[in-house]
Amino acid sequence: MLGAGAAAGALAGLSPQRAAAVLKLDVTQGNVQPVPIAIPDFVGVGLQDPAGGRNVSLIIASNLRRSGLFAPIDPAAYIEKISTIDTLPRFPDWRQINAQALVTGRITQSDGRLKAEFRLWDVFAGQQLRGEQYNTTADNWRRIAHIISDAIYERITGEKGYFDSRVVFVDESGPKERRIKRLALMDQDGANVRYLTRGDDLVLTPRFSSAADTITYMSYSQGDPKVYLMNIETGQREIVSNFPGMSFSPRFSPDGQRVIFSLQRGGNSNLFVMDLRSKATTRLTDTQVIDTAPSYSPDGTRISFESDRGGKQQIYIMAANGGEAQRISFGEGAYSTPVWSPRGDYIAFTKQTESKFAIGIMRADGSGERILTEGYHNEGPTWSPNGRVIMFFRDPGGDGGPMLYTVDVTGRNEQILKTPSYASDPAWSPLLQ
Amino acid sequence: MRTAYTISAVGHAAVLLWSVWSLSATSLPVSSTEGLPVDLVTASDFSKIAAGSKDAPKAETPKPLVEKVAEAKPVEDPTAKVVEKKEVKAAREPPPAPEAKPSESEPEKKQAETKPDPIADALAKDEAKKPEPKKADVKPPTPPKKPAPPTPKFDPKQVAALLDKRDSTRLAAAGETLNSAPSLGLSNGAAAQLSLSELEALRARLAQLWTVPAGAKDPQELVVLVRIKLNRDGKLAAPPVVLSSGTSPLFMAARDSAIRALFRGQPYDMLKPEHYEQWKDVEITFDPRDMIRG
Repeated sequence: MLGAGAAAGALAGLSPQRAAAVLKLDVTQGNVQPVPIAIPDFVGVGLQDPAGGRNVSLIIASNLRRSGLFAPIDPAAYIEKISTIDTLPRFPDWRQINAQALVTGRITQSDGRLKAEFRLWDVFAGQQLRGEQYNTTADNWRRIAHIISDAIYERITGEKGYFDSRVVFVDESGPKERRIKRLALMDQDGANVRYLTRGDDLVLTPRFSSAADTITYMSYSQGDPKVYLMNIETGQREIVSNFPGMSFSPRFSPDGQRVIFSLQRGGNSNLFVMDLRSKATTRLTDTQVIDTAPSYSPDGTRISFESDRGGKQQIYIMAANGGEAQRISFGEGAYSTPVWSPRGDYIAFTKQTESKFAIGIMRADGSGERILTEGYHNEGPTWSPNGRVIMFFRDPGGDGGPMLYTVDVTGRNEQILKTPSYASDPAWSPLLQ
Repeated sequence: MRTAYTISAVGHAAVLLWSVWSLSATSLPVSSTEGLPVDLVTASDFSKIAAGSKDAPKAETPKPLVEKVAEAKPVEDPTAKVVEKKEVKAAREPPPAPEAKPSESEPEKKQAETKPDPIADALAKDEAKKPEPKKADVKPPTPPKKPAPPTPKFDPKQVAALLDKRDSTRLAAAGETLNSAPSLGLSNGAAAQLSLSELEALRARLAQLWTVPAGAKDPQELVVLVRIKLNRDGKLAAPPVVLSSGTSPLFMAARDSAIRALFRGQPYDMLKPEHYEQWKDVEITFDPRDMIRG
C-alpha cells in the first residue's frame, strides 16, 4: 500500500502526460559547478604598458576564479583570437572549448585617461548579456578590472559583486614575543597594500564605515585603550570616546552616523552608542556582566551582541535603542563576535567548543546554524559587501602567525588570501563608490 | 466400532463438503491496472543509442493514426466544373492539328506533353518515337495519374467555386485502411507513454548542465518555467520560451542559466522517436529551492 502510494507520488511528480498535452517536467536539482568562462586578453589601443590588456583580463579571471562560481578557461585552449570587440565572436569556436560565457574588451589610452569597454556574451544562446564602458585615470586600471568583474559576476549569478572593495586588517610582523601591529589597507584580492599606522601603538578591531573612506578601531597608545576614527584618504585621526575606562570593539551604524562600542568599568562591560555629530553618548545595556561585540542589522533597527549573562558567552539580539535582549544561540560551546550580513539574512559568529574555534552562520532568529570552517583557532568573521563570502583569520598555533582566509556562505571554496606578513582582524569595506 | 467409523467418515465428509462450498468464495475481480512502462537500458545499450552511425537504417516514422475508413467521396467539387469548361477550350486544338500536321508535329508533341490530353500524348509518341514502343505501351494504363491540373481561368461569376468548401473536421484521420496495429498498453489504458527512464535521462541531463546560483538569498526568484519545442532529432525547434517573468537580476541570471542548459543539452537523444508526439512540446520548471534550503 505504502509502495503504491510512493509510486503514485513519483508518477504525479513526473507527470508523463497523455499525447497532445504538453509534457511537464520538474528539474529540482542542478549543479553548483563553476561556470566555464573565457576571458581573452583585452585589446589594447595606445597603451603605455603593452601588457595592459592582458593584465586587466588576468585580474578579472583571478577575481572570478576566487569567487568559486566561475572557472576561467586556460587561454591556451582558445581557438578564436579576439582582435576587435566590434564584431560578433565566432560562437562555435567558443562552444567547442565549452565556454558558457565569453568576455571581450578593449582598453584605450589617451593622455593619461583610460577608456575601458567590455562585452559579456552568452556563448550558447549567441547573444550579448552586458556591454559597458568606463572612463578613468590611467593609475586606476586595477579598479576598472574589479568593476568589470563585478558587472560579469552580477549578470551571471544575479547577485551584486564584491570585487571593487577593500579590506583593512592588522598587519603583524616581527618575532612572536615582540609583534609589531600596524593597520593596513589592501584591495580585496590582496593587491595595493598600504600601511595606515606606524606600529608604535597596539591596534585592534578596525571596522569600515558605510562610506568606505573612514574606519574606526581600538588602539592602546597610552593608558586605557580608546576608540578612534581615521579617514583613510587623508590619514586624519580623531578619538571617539574619551571616558575613563576601557572602550573597545567599535562598529559603525549602517548610516555611518553613529559608532557603537563597549565600555568596561570594573569587572563588567556595557554597550554604548555615540552620535558622531553631536558626540552625545547613550547607554544601551546596564548589566553586571560582559556585553560586547555589537553589530547592527543592515536596516539599523536591531543590534546583535555577545554576552555572558546566561553563564557562557552567547549571542543576543535587541532593538537598536536598547531594551529587552533575546538570546538566539543555543548550541553547545560559547558563541562570540556576531556580525550581521549586509544582506540581512545571516549572522556570522565564532564558536568555541572544547579545543576548537569554528566560524559559522545562523539566521537572525537563531535557526539554520551552519559551521563553515573549523580548526585550532579561527576568529573575526567579516562579510563581503554582497553577503556571499566571509573573511576571517586563522592562527595555526605554534611558531606561526595568523593568516587571512575567505570562505563562501555555503561552506565551500575556502581560500587563503596572501598578505605581506601575518595578518589578523580583517574588515571588509562596502563596495567603493 | 463400525458405527463409530461411519459417523467419523460421514462427519469428515460433511466438514470437507462444507468447507468446499463455503470457503470457495468468488474470487475478487481483478481489474487490470496499467503497469508503469519502464525500459531497461544497459549502459552499453545506452551508449549505442546515443552514438550515431552513418549506415544505420532510416528510422521509420510511425504509421499515421487512422480511426475510420474514408468513404470514397464523389468528386463534387465545384472547381471540377471549371475543368469541364477548360476541356471545351482544349477541344479546339485537335482540329487544327490535322491541318498543320506535317510541319508542326514536333513542337506539337512537346506541347502535347504538357497538355492534359493523354490520348493525343500517346498518339504523338507513337508517331514520333517508334524505337520506344514500350513506353507508349506502358503509358496508356497510367494516364489517370498523369493529367496535369488544368489552370482554371478566373471567372468573376464563379467566385463561389474558388472558395475552399472542405469541412474543417478531422478528415485527416480518415484513410484507406484502419490502423490495426494495437498500441502498447491495456484496452482500458493509455497509449504508449514516455518511459520513466527517458524522462529521468532528460531530467538528469538538464540537472547536470543547469548551474544553480548556490547560496542565493531569495531562492523563490530562481524558479523558471520554460517551454521548448523539439524536433524529431531531439534538437530545439526554436529558442526556448520563458513563461515565468521577473525583472530582478537574480531572476535574469536563473533564466539565462536554465536556457544555457537547454541549449547545451541538445540533442536530447534519450527521447525515443516513437514517442515524439509526447515530447515534441515540453514545459520544464527549473526549481532550485530544494537545493538551497537549509
